[in-house]
Amino acid sequence: MKPFYAESVAIKISVLLVTAYCLLLTPASADSPKRIISLAPNITEILFALGVDERIVGVSSFCDYPEAAKQKAKVGGFSNPSLEAVVSLKPDMVLLTYDGNPQAFEERLRSMKIRTVVIRARKISDLPAGIRQIGAAVGAGEKAELLAADIEKRLDVFKERDRISLSQAKPAKRQKVLFIIWPDPLIVAGHGTTTSEALALLGLENIAAKTSTAYPKYSIEEILRQAPDIIFIGKGNGMDEVADGLLRRLKTVPAVRNGKVFYVSDYLYRLGPRTMNGVDELAAHLKKP
Amino acid sequence: MKLRIAFIILILIIAFAISLIAGAKLINPFAADEVSREILFSIRAPRSIVAILMGMALGASGAVLQGILKNPLADPYILGISSGASLAAALGIMAGAAFLGTFTIPFMAFIGALATGIMVGLMGWQRGGLWPERILLAGVGLSFLFSAMLMLIMSISSDEGLRKAMLWIFGDLSMSEWPKVPYGLVFVAAGVFVSMIRAKALNALILGDEFAHSLGFSPRRERLILFISVGLLTAASVSLGGMIGFIGLLVPHIMRFFIGSDNRLLVPCSALGGGALLCIADVISKSVLPPMELPAGIVTAIIGSPYFLYLLRRKNVLSI
Repeated sequence: MKPFYAESVAIKISVLLVTAYCLLLTPASADSPKRIISLAPNITEILFALGVDERIVGVSSFCDYPEAAKQKAKVGGFSNPSLEAVVSLKPDMVLLTYDGNPQAFEERLRSMKIRTVVIRARKISDLPAGIRQIGAAVGAGEKAELLAADIEKRLDVFKERDRISLSQAKPAKRQKVLFIIWPDPLIVAGHGTTTSEALALLGLENIAAKTSTAYPKYSIEEILRQAPDIIFIGKGNGMDEVADGLLRRLKTVPAVRNGKVFYVSDYLYRLGPRTMNGVDELAAHLKKP
Repeated sequence: MKLRIAFIILILIIAFAISLIAGAKLINPFAADEVSREILFSIRAPRSIVAILMGMALGASGAVLQGILKNPLADPYILGISSGASLAAALGIMAGAAFLGTFTIPFMAFIGALATGIMVGLMGWQRGGLWPERILLAGVGLSFLFSAMLMLIMSISSDEGLRKAMLWIFGDLSMSEWPKVPYGLVFVAAGVFVSMIRAKALNALILGDEFAHSLGFSPRRERLILFISVGLLTAASVSLGGMIGFIGLLVPHIMRFFIGSDNRLLVPCSALGGGALLCIADVISKSVLPPMELPAGIVTAIIGSPYFLYLLRRKNVLSI
């Protein structure tokens, strides 16, 4: 077991190495793709984190992070990428996500003899494997290993804490929480979402976890009845104004009464390098008195 | 006849009572704890009242419009008013407008609806009067144009928030609160009232312009007054809770089966029936899959259409 600082030093060194690698423009190994297209924002982020952004020739119109991703050629949306735009960029590999990109599209690409890689990760716990899969596909295995191991280590911290709390004679009462994606109409993070999983990691009870869909339109009555202790509100356009109207109607809920309503970033909406930052962000809010 | 009207009023009252008590969970209003009281007064009551107002606006304006256009297939949304409202709301959301807090987007929708109504009126205006066919075609034309523009905005925008915010356009009553009630009440009461006092003229219009003339009505003036009241009613209903189909088109027909074609009765009864139907539909939409909510528009059509088809089989279709 290496001490922690060695780990971070290793990451820093590898970042330097990758920068050097990009500067020197060492040709990639024979079978690693030179013209990559990513059809999902989280895959684009992972590719950038693996330092292969030089080889990305096209992204979806939703790929807006990091800033440099916006400069890449756009090949259409998430659920409706343009076959023509993809083919005209002559990619030698297209990366898709199982969670949103159309399956038929991937089949068309394969029938046209274009290499495809489908990332099946849907949960935070699948993320390290997904990163390793992408790393292996684009020939950046070592960097992927570092990134995946880092995420695993950060995940372990939370799991360890769970083990400790479960081993106690009287486990602490789980706080009830609700994560609002959009206030009007009220859309919340429900069953099977990365966000809901993050709440569980933090030992919180998501009151919308039993829904049959991922992002259900939720009943305000139910919030009043469940009385969550904490409310998180995800970032969005014109959110504050609309959310104020909602919070005014939830004034009897403990979270609103005790000032436990937190506006948070959108890190958790994407399964990528920033997901754990989203988990840490929620954890930081929980530490507030 | 009096009995039938009393029966419709009773149904509306019962619908309102049920909507207060029923939902995802039953609440006994006489033995409610603090949370239940809060739900009853600040969530269910305003929501049900908004649903009733919206249903009333749609029912009444549907009846009036079928009359002035002499077309059994006319409904308030055919005038393009709803697509104009949606477009204005989408533009407001895109611009991040928030000058009226939670009222901003409904207000934008209202302005969009009114502007569209005025446009349709101007295009339908010829030789000093409104022409039914022209109104209808202008409405359909504008409706296509605005829907296409809305789709364009939706497809080029990558803002997830816009997509979610647009959901309310497809009929959402969940954000109804007390401040919306007086505003809705003013417009809906005014529109229904104007339509009712001009109902006699509407009866005459249906029989033909010359006939209306001989009875002492100015067809052009009457059409304009009625058209304005329909515009106000539709604009108010869209801004209260988005677009909810079926009611404006079919509730007037269902009421014709009940009480006949006399607009003096038909207009108020269509309002009452529309209000009751939307109120009940909203309760069902909340109770089917709690804590999820279905769009109320789906439920109105699912419970309303079979009943309408049943009436159609049983009775002769009544003319307008």
